[in-house]
Amino acid sequence: MVAEAAQRLSANAEIRDLSSKPAARLAAGTVNRTSPMNRRPFALLAPPLLAILLLGAVPLVLVLVWSFWTWDPATYWIKPDMSLAGYSAILDAGRWTVIVSTLLKAAGTATLCVFLAFPIAYVVQFLSGPRLQALLLALITIPFFTSYLIRSFSWRLVLGRTGIVNTMLQHIGLTQAPVDWLLFSNFAVVVGLVASYLPFAVFPLVLAFRRVPPDLIAAAQDLGAGFWRAVATILLPLTFSGIFAGFLFVFVMTAGSSTEVQMLGGAGASIVSVMINDVMRVANYPLAFAISTVVLAVIFTLVLVGNVTFKLSSLFAEEDR
Amino acid sequence: MTVHEGFGNRALLWIIAILGLLVIYAPPLYLLAISFNPALQPSLPSLSALSLDWYMALPREKALIGALQQSLLIAFATAVFATALSLLAALAYVELRFGRTSWFLLVLLPMFVPGVVQGLALSAVFSRLGVKASMITLISGHLLWAMPFAFIVILTSFAAVRQNFLLAAADLGANRWRQFVDVTLPLIRPGLVSAFIFSFLLSLNEFTRAFYLSGRQNTLPVVLFSKMNSGASPVIYAMSGAIFIASVLMVAALALYNLLGRRAPVLEAQ
Repeated sequence: MVAEAAQRLSANAEIRDLSSKPAARLAAGTVNRTSPMNRRPFALLAPPLLAILLLGAVPLVLVLVWSFWTWDPATYWIKPDMSLAGYSAILDAGRWTVIVSTLLKAAGTATLCVFLAFPIAYVVQFLSGPRLQALLLALITIPFFTSYLIRSFSWRLVLGRTGIVNTMLQHIGLTQAPVDWLLFSNFAVVVGLVASYLPFAVFPLVLAFRRVPPDLIAAAQDLGAGFWRAVATILLPLTFSGIFAGFLFVFVMTAGSSTEVQMLGGAGASIVSVMINDVMRVANYPLAFAISTVVLAVIFTLVLVGNVTFKLSSLFAEEDR
Repeated sequence: MTVHEGFGNRALLWIIAILGLLVIYAPPLYLLAISFNPALQPSLPSLSALSLDWYMALPREKALIGALQQSLLIAFATAVFATALSLLAALAYVELRFGRTSWFLLVLLPMFVPGVVQGLALSAVFSRLGVKASMITLISGHLLWAMPFAFIVILTSFAAVRQNFLLAAADLGANRWRQFVDVTLPLIRPGLVSAFIFSFLLSLNEFTRAFYLSGRQNTLPVVLFSKMNSGASPVIYAMSGAIFIASVLMVAALALYNLLGRRAPVLEAQ
């Protein structure tokens, strides 16, 4: 492809300017500054920046501002104010317990995901040939682009009273009656969350494992370390940025999730996003905006801290090209 | 030198890895299997009783089909805009001399904004502006959800574009536009195709933002959600199974296309 392109280009250049070689033209100043060194990124940057600002940043800043306004019965909307009523309402009626339990669920889910993701990354990087590696990577990529709704819903069929798990448990005689706590429970929610967001932990770990030379582990073993000692002293420190990024991604995605609780949670089960839905059902805008602001503050702080600590961009893009 | 995990440890690592994949794939595949069971009660069909009854019933479900059409249109529009904007964002990233990390983070951040918060914020702003919920509002919401993924994919594909190729093209008299069309574009084409497909699927399967932003015609996930919660019928299993497997096949086809493309001798010039 490139060779063709270069040929076509050189043909064009010759037709245009048979006499002069590039160096000569440079010296004569006839080359207008078209080299890639002449960077003009701002025209390219403008359209995506505009989209991100108008559709993303501006609405979120407005949510922050509106969280201090108060309800106006005359307009069925809120009026300018500097009230903390929305925030103090978070402390009422046990709403803060939902926030705490959301953070706990997020931490638990993220921990479980990292424990599953570490062996997956090991298998992908060190125990698979090129074909199997490609297959496993595809299997880990696919879930990002399937429906979280459908995947959560399908757990209902697996964990329900007549689901496959209960049928099997009764078949092998472990229980007589269907086990009820499998579905519409915190257990089901955490299982659904792990299934939904596990790929977010696997990906940074696979990227981190890629940079570990297998020779290092082999060398440690040569010097007498057992396999787990080598993992603990060589692999863990070298992949720590991946572990942290995986934990962070799952934590953040779980903290903002709603579908899993809606599909698999029991009566009264909640998570921050579901609480916002409930508050909006009675059009309590200031409270909904206040909760949103708190969630966003937590999430953005975590992502920014993670970025400062581990430079997330270096996971994906080559630096210093 | 090779690493010696020992048989036991190796088996343990494999078992956990397979368990992880099962947690992701077993339930939706179970749902897919159930959708081929002609019985009303959800359970695995026996091999002799496999039937497409519930799939044949799909075209009669006017609400589902209308929602599917709406979702496909929105997904297509989202994919077009997300790919184009992400390409510009990636080109800017490559050319930026300072603030690269900030730009990367800014494009990526919308991925971490909870769907409910993003949907609520956008719908509040649109209703203040007097914009009625419609396809436009939905596409706006899905654009920010799809862009971070499209951006990462396109940015990764830029690894194939060597600075030297562009310098050589420039030396040969190509202006920036010709450099882009003749050198950069062919090299990043797999990334653009991937970004388009990924954005399409992300929009097609998106539920929480659509819940706030869809107008009179709901999208497929919104209709599915309400039907799942009001006594799911096997037709829902069929629709869900079909959408799930279609998404899987599209990504798989893409992976295959990229794999085959990579084998072609791209860099004869070296």
